[in-house]
Parts: sequence; C-alpha cells; structure tokens
Amino acid sequence: MDMRAPAAADAATPRDGRRLPVGGWELALTALLVAVVAGFGAAAPGFYAGPASLLGLTENFLPFGLVALGLSLVILTGGIDLSVGAVASLSAVLAAQLWSRFGVDIWAASALGVAIGALLGLLNAAVILRLGIEPLIATLGTSFLYGSAAVAAAGAAPPSGFPASFTAVGTGTLGSLGPLAGLVPIQLALFAALAVLFSALVARSPFGRVLVMVGYSPDAARYSGIRTGRVLATAYAVSGAMASLAGLVLASYYDAVRPDMGDVLLLTAITMVVLGGISIFGGEGTVAGVVVSVLVLGFLRQGMLIAGFSDMVTTMLTGAILLASIAAKNLFNRRGTGLANQIWATIRRPEPPRANPN
Amino acid sequence: MNRRRRSLGGAALALALSVSPLFAADGAMPDTAKRIKVAMVPKLVGLSVFKANEQGAIAEAKDLNIDFLYTGPVTASAQGQVDVFNSLIARKFDVITTTSNNPTQLAPSLERAMKAGIKVVAYDSDVAPQARDFFIQNTSYPAFGKALVESVIKYAGPDAKIAILSSTPDATIQNEWIGAVKSYLAATYPKVQIVATEYGQSSPSQSLTAGLNILQAHPDVTGIIAPDGAAVVGAAAAIEKLGKTGKVFTTGASNPDAVRQYVKSGVIKETPLWDEVKEGRLVLYVARLAADGALKDNDTFTAPGLGTYEVKDKVIVFSEPLVFDASNIDQYKF
Amino acid sequence: MSAAAARPAADPRPGWRDRRELVLVAVTAASAGAVGIVNPGFLTVENLRFVALNSVVLSIVALGQTLVIAMRGIDLSVAPLMGLSAMVCGLLAQTHGLPLWGAVGVALAIGLALGTLNGVLVAALNIPPIITTLGTYSLFGGLTFLYSDGTQVDQVPPAYAAFGNAGPLGLPVPTPVLVLLLVTAACWFALGHSRFGRAVLAVGNNAAAAYNAGLRVAVIRIQVYALSGLLACLGGLVFVCYTGSATVTTGTGDHVELQSIAVALVGGTLIAGGRANVLGTVLASLFLSTVLTALVFLQVPPIWYSAGEGLMILVAVRGGTRRAAGRA
Repeated sequence: MDMRAPAAADAATPRDGRRLPVGGWELALTALLVAVVAGFGAAAPGFYAGPASLLGLTENFLPFGLVALGLSLVILTGGIDLSVGAVASLSAVLAAQLWSRFGVDIWAASALGVAIGALLGLLNAAVILRLGIEPLIATLGTSFLYGSAAVAAAGAAPPSGFPASFTAVGTGTLGSLGPLAGLVPIQLALFAALAVLFSALVARSPFGRVLVMVGYSPDAARYSGIRTGRVLATAYAVSGAMASLAGLVLASYYDAVRPDMGDVLLLTAITMVVLGGISIFGGEGTVAGVVVSVLVLGFLRQGMLIAGFSDMVTTMLTGAILLASIAAKNLFNRRGTGLANQIWATIRRPEPPRANPN
Repeated sequence: MNRRRRSLGGAALALALSVSPLFAADGAMPDTAKRIKVAMVPKLVGLSVFKANEQGAIAEAKDLNIDFLYTGPVTASAQGQVDVFNSLIARKFDVITTTSNNPTQLAPSLERAMKAGIKVVAYDSDVAPQARDFFIQNTSYPAFGKALVESVIKYAGPDAKIAILSSTPDATIQNEWIGAVKSYLAATYPKVQIVATEYGQSSPSQSLTAGLNILQAHPDVTGIIAPDGAAVVGAAAAIEKLGKTGKVFTTGASNPDAVRQYVKSGVIKETPLWDEVKEGRLVLYVARLAADGALKDNDTFTAPGLGTYEVKDKVIVFSEPLVFDASNIDQYKF
Repeated sequence: MSAAAARPAADPRPGWRDRRELVLVAVTAASAGAVGIVNPGFLTVENLRFVALNSVVLSIVALGQTLVIAMRGIDLSVAPLMGLSAMVCGLLAQTHGLPLWGAVGVALAIGLALGTLNGVLVAALNIPPIITTLGTYSLFGGLTFLYSDGTQVDQVPPAYAAFGNAGPLGLPVPTPVLVLLLVTAACWFALGHSRFGRAVLAVGNNAAAAYNAGLRVAVIRIQVYALSGLLACLGGLVFVCYTGSATVTTGTGDHVELQSIAVALVGGTLIAGGRANVLGTVLASLFLSTVLTALVFLQVPPIWYSAGEGLMILVAVRGGTRRAAGRA
C-alpha cells in the first residue's frame, strides 16, 4: 500500500461513519453540486437550456466517472492504478481492431475489450503481488507497456466509423422511458446503474467490508484470515475493466479510437476519487461521495467553459478546489482550530504525527 | 483525403480578378451588416504557429464585423477540443474554425454544432468531411512533399541517405506529407534511401534526442526530413550540436521564428511552410462568407488583400508552399 | 515497505551496502558494450557524451524527487515547475535580454517559492503529498500558460547556449554535466553525511519516532519540498539552455514527474521512505538514456521505446525490492 505521509491528517479523520453510504462530506459535496448547477444555470447563458441539454452535458465527463468508480476500489485498498489511461486506450483500440479487421460483431468486440481490461488489471495485480512491487511503480511500469502496445495495435490509421447502434452509447438517449423518453443519456443510465452497484458492493456486501479492511490494515486483514491477495487482484481487475469500459464509451462518443485517447483520464479520475472523500491511504470513504464528486467536477468544468473561462483557468481552478477542499476537510475535522493557529501550531510544535496504521 | 491543385485556369482567373479586389463582380461576397461571433480553436493554445493564425484573424475580424475569440485546450487532445466545442455550441457562436488534433474523434461534436446551425470551417489539419462546411488546406500535399524533398536533396545530393523525423506514428497531416515525400522521391530521385524513421512526439526535447540518435546511429545520413515544428528544430539542434553543419541538411514545417537561427547558420538551407498570419486572415474571411451563407461548395471568391481562391468540393487550397531561406526569412515574423 | 519500517533508524545512511550503484554501472556498461559490438558507432566519445548530456536534466529533477521520496513523500509538480522555469527564464532572455546570472536567480527563486508552497500544503495543512502535488500540478502548469500567453521560446542568447552545451573555460566537459556533478555531490553529502539528511531519512522511516526524538518534522518537510522545487527549476533552466526551446508542454509533455519517480526508484530509493540512493538516481537516469539511445542503434521500431522503459522500471525495481526484503 502506498503510505504517503502526513499521518496526522489520517489519524484525525473519524472512521466510525464509514459504513454509512452518506455522511457529512457527501452532504457537503451535494450542497456544492446544487450550488454549481444553480449558479451556472443562473449566471451562464447556455448552461441550462432545458432538462435534456443539462443532462446531455454529462456525456462530456461521465467516462471519467466510470474510471473513478473502478479506481475507487483500488484506492480503498490503499493502492493506486496509474495504468487506467493506457488500459482504456489499449482495450478500446483492440476492440475496434477486432471489429474492423476481423469482422467481429461490435458488441462481442466490446465485451472482449472489457475482458481484456480486466486481464490487464489482473496483470497489474500479478506484478504487485508476485513481484512485490509497490502499486504506484508497478502500474507506472505497466502503463508504459500498455501504452506502447496501444500505439502498435492502432497502426497509422486507427479504426473509426462504428455502427450507429454502438455510437448511440456515447451520444444517444434512452428512448423507452415513457415521459422521460429522449431525456436521459445512455451514458448517464450506465453510470447510474454502475454507481448503485459499486455503492452497494462497497457499503453493503461482504466483499466491500473485506476491501475496506484490507485498505485500513492489511496486516489485521491477513491475520483475520482474509486472502488479501485475492481481494487486491479483484480490485485491480475491476479497475481495469472499468477503465476499458470508459475507453469503449469514449470510442463510441468520438466514433473513433486513438492510441492516446485514454491519457486524459488518469489525473481527473484520481481527483474525482480523492475529492469524493476516499482516503488516498485506503480504508476509508464511500462510493456515493465519488459519484457526487464526479458530478461536481464535471458540471463545474462544463459550466466554466460555457461561462467563457478558458481551459487553462478551468484546469487551474480544479486544482485549487481539490487542495482547498482537502485542506478544509482536514481543518474541519480538528474542530475549532483556525487556519492561522493551525499553521502556527504545526510549525512551532507539531502534534505528534502518528504512524500510519499499516 | 482531398488532394487538389488549383488549375492553371483558376490562376489566370485569380490574376484577372485581383485587379479589382474590393468589388469583384464575380464570386462570393460577404455581407458585414450583422455582427457575428467566430471562434478559432487551435490544437492547443501555446504554440507560436497557431498564435500566428490568431494574429491574422484578429486583424481581419475588425474589417468583417466579427466578435473574435481564440480559445483552445491546454493539451493537444481530442477531449480538450471537444469540451471547448461543446461550450461554444452552448454559447451560440455563429462559426467555429478549428485545426483538429485528429480527424475522426472531433467529428461527432462538430456535427452537433452543425446541427445547431453553427458553421464549421476547418483549417490546417482537416476533420472528417461530413463534420465541416469548408476546409482550408495549407498547401496541397504533393506540392508540400515536393518542397520538402527539394529543400534537402538539392544540398544532400540525388543519391543521399536520408532519415525522417516525424511527430507521432498516427499524425494525419504528417503521414500525408511523408507519403507525398516518398512518392515524389520514387518518381524523381529513385536513388535516395530512407534509412530511418523516428518520432519526436512533438516534444522539443524528445525530437532533439531522436535527432542526435539518428545521426549517431546512421553516420552516413546527410539529410533529415522533419515535417513537424518540434521535429525540425530538434533535428537542426542535433546537427549543430554534432558539428555537422554543412554536411547534414534538414528541413521541415516550422514557423520562421523557431528556425531563424538555424537558417542563418546554414543548418537549414530551405524549409517550406506557408504564411500562417495570412492564413489566419483567410480563415476569418471564409468564416464570414460561411456565416452569411454566401459560399457554395464549388465557388470562387476574392478576399481583399489576400487574393482569389477557388472552392472545390468544399476545399480551399490556401497557397503554394512558401519556402524560407536565408534571403527571405527576415521578412516573416511569426 | 515492511523492510524499511523494520530497519533500525539508527542507520540512516543511504543504502551503500546493497551496491545498487555497482549493479547499475555494470548493467549500463554491459548494455553499452553489447550495443557497441553490434554497432561500433555507439561507443564513440561523441555519442557517449550525448548519452550523458541527454540524461542531465532528468537527473537534476530526479535528485529532488529522491529527497522527497526518501522522506516518504512524492512530488508530481516537478514537471510543470521545470516547464515554468524553462519558460520564464527563456522568455525573459529571448525578449528582455536577461543575463544568465539573472536567469539562475529567477529559476532558483521560482523553485524555492513554489516548492515551499508544496511543503506548507503538505506539512501545515496535512494534505497528502500525492494530492497536494496533483493540485499544484494544475496550478503551476496554468502559471506557465498565463506567463507565456501562448508564445514559446525559440532561441536563447549565446551565453545561455554556451552554458547548455559547451564546457566552462574551454574544459572538454559540458557545463550541465558539471552542474549535475555539483548537485549530486551536494545531495550525496546532505543526505548521507549531514544532520539534515539524517533528519530527512528519519522522517521517512518513521515520522512519529522522528517527532518524538525532537525533530521539527513540519519544517523538515517544507525544506525538502522547497529543495525539490529548486532542483526542478534548475533542471528547467538547464533544459532551456541545452535545447534552446521551451513550450507550454515542456516537462509535462514528456511526463518528467513519472520519469523522475521511476529513475529514483530504479536507483534504489525506497518508495516507502527512509532510504535513498543519490548516486543510484543519477546512474539510473544515465542507464535510461543509454537504453533509449541503444534502441535507435539496434533499429528497434520506435513504437516499442516506451515499452522498453516500462520493462526497465519493473525489472530494476523488482531487483531492489527483493534485495531489501532479503535484508529485513
């Protein structure tokens, strides 16, 4: 597990609420989401042009959300998966080549693509567990390998022009929802279904309990008879599968594949997971928080761009919000100490930083 | 891909029309009564070549009653460009002009823009034909391929061993140019051998390293064709660092500012491009015509101060390659 | 990681005894020799000089990363910091004729200031390092855009170019290599032979114990991030002098943050902190440069270069992990 530093932050966070699907952090994020949507709706002409267009905006960022869901499991175990971008590219390129060169049905090719993603995730787990390499460096190494393979598989003219039924996944809406027909993007329905599934998996299932326990304290988990290797392998395989699903949704959205198409996913997806309240040290956080954080960051970016801010300003603000919210979370948990006191106290006489539980 | 040249007849027509540029009776004319909003979306903000387009566009926007916005992603990614397009659609721009990070991935988003009544003008690097109203091609691919070859082979000799240093293996426009280079070589200089093809990922440092490696691994190479802004700078710097100025020649596709020092020191004898500033002006002129609905798929028009252009199947070829050398490079600042 | 935790804090010296340096030297020499047999052009003085020169910028940045990792932190913001420094110094030189000594001052000032900001966010606001530097990655990258306003550095004054390529006072060794030697020596001394270094390793080994032993943990953290920022910006200055160019994607476009982490770990520094290998970092960077050049000499298709890099990371780090585990 990746136990990066300031242990005091970790130790100061209450852990008793972690079984509940929503807590203070999730509520705060939800309030932020309402503020973002209402604020841009009022202030940025073009942001809200009817419910269909508002929901349609989600098509532009939900692939990031799919990656974030899978990555959540890995980060809950205390690991990290830097290969998600390369996995997304490689599996989407391979699926597209199966369809275009070998005439495989696009849906069968997509299913194979997700299976390839899961396999690549298992390979990550094998490198971590069998070779005993830290997740950060293991997935960094494999991301170079997968990226190379994606470039090799794509060739000079990567496939494009998929069947309309396939591109509908990225840009179409559900047509048979009665009064809601034409309103809900297929991407949103897919994300919602998976979000519910992942939330239930983490918060309500035995697997979820084991997952969180491994992240909270691998040694304790091992001593209590949990086969931690199997849990980790599952988490990385799911992360790989979700990354490849995101790659396929992007392929559908763009109606084309490119070997570098997944590169943009990684940093934003990590930001979404962390802002969602999952501790980077593992063992703590909820999928519900990640889901709300995906919507907050997604709508914020779309809203800022529509309000006329440049990509650069939008990116900078995302970074600032990440820092400010995690800082606020840390301060909030310390009950009553002001920012200045905090800095002063830490510099002058730091609280004894406690060692990370694992 | 559309490969076309202006016919001789077109050139003659151009000459005839340019006599009375402002009120040419023939061809499409803009109607500048209504103020419109036009956006220019480069592959990424932060490269001088695109900035040069912006410079020309700003100048032209004033004359054409256009609210002009230059905006783009911070990384050269399709996702970044699509996000920007979507925001421009929501902001109800009249025209989106863009040079695409790749031709296929941008198509769905631009088709949505067209469905929303927005005119799309591609320039520099094309998008899929169904996703734009017009495409302004820098120069024809065969002409640019020929210019690239001539500007190296003239100095390296007709039986030289040369290398290619490109950006990435799947870069559309670079691959078109490399294809044109190869067919021109086969037809005109069959003895020239391409001994290596490397990629600099459009990164100055990786291009430099690739350039050094090519020259060290293939000491008999006397020419490097580097049809990418970063690649030609990397190749030129590598030649200079190895002290092979005058023995190895390189050429590419770079704005004059970036290669001025190498052209003056003789590492680069000639390097073709086109006038990016002027191209930016043409982009805005075509945007205005498109917004006014004044331009047909096959048409001619005369842009004041720019010349007369022929539209063939929605494609406008901007110019012949403009070859920079020591004698003319100081006339161009971009 | 349990290996690091189990190691007694009383022995904070960087891992001399695992002989990672010797392994790297041997592997680098062996690969260079093997390539030389296939293609003798590889072993010319000229080529080897460039193999070394091409590794300098990454080495300098990675030394800062080594310090941070030794303290059980991580610094993703080195890439945009390197780019920011290259852009600011390069543009000031190109358009305002800033003298070289001024550029050195500007680079170091930017690095110190923004590195300190990272340190304060980590140490005083308790934001985990990977999140802190992920956030500042976007912020510092944005500063480069703001400052450059969409332009790029195409040419630097002769003094800069000389600094980046030639040797001082007519020496045959290029200045960047000398700068790297100086920085390496300073880091080697600081980390292995000073109170500061012992403190850094102690914090990396066990922050609670270090605090209980009376170390000012927060101050040490801030200092180390400041140093990392400083070295990243020094790397940026050397970069712009050596290549004569800088764009908004300098640093981030080449993923210097990931490369610097990779060479630090390949060099024998433990990601769990508490042990660093300064010389190993520099040698790993040299090894990487050797491999990437060798692939061209061996005419390996370019699409597989990054796969080669990935394999190198996994194989080399695996070796390190095994040795460390064996010692525990």
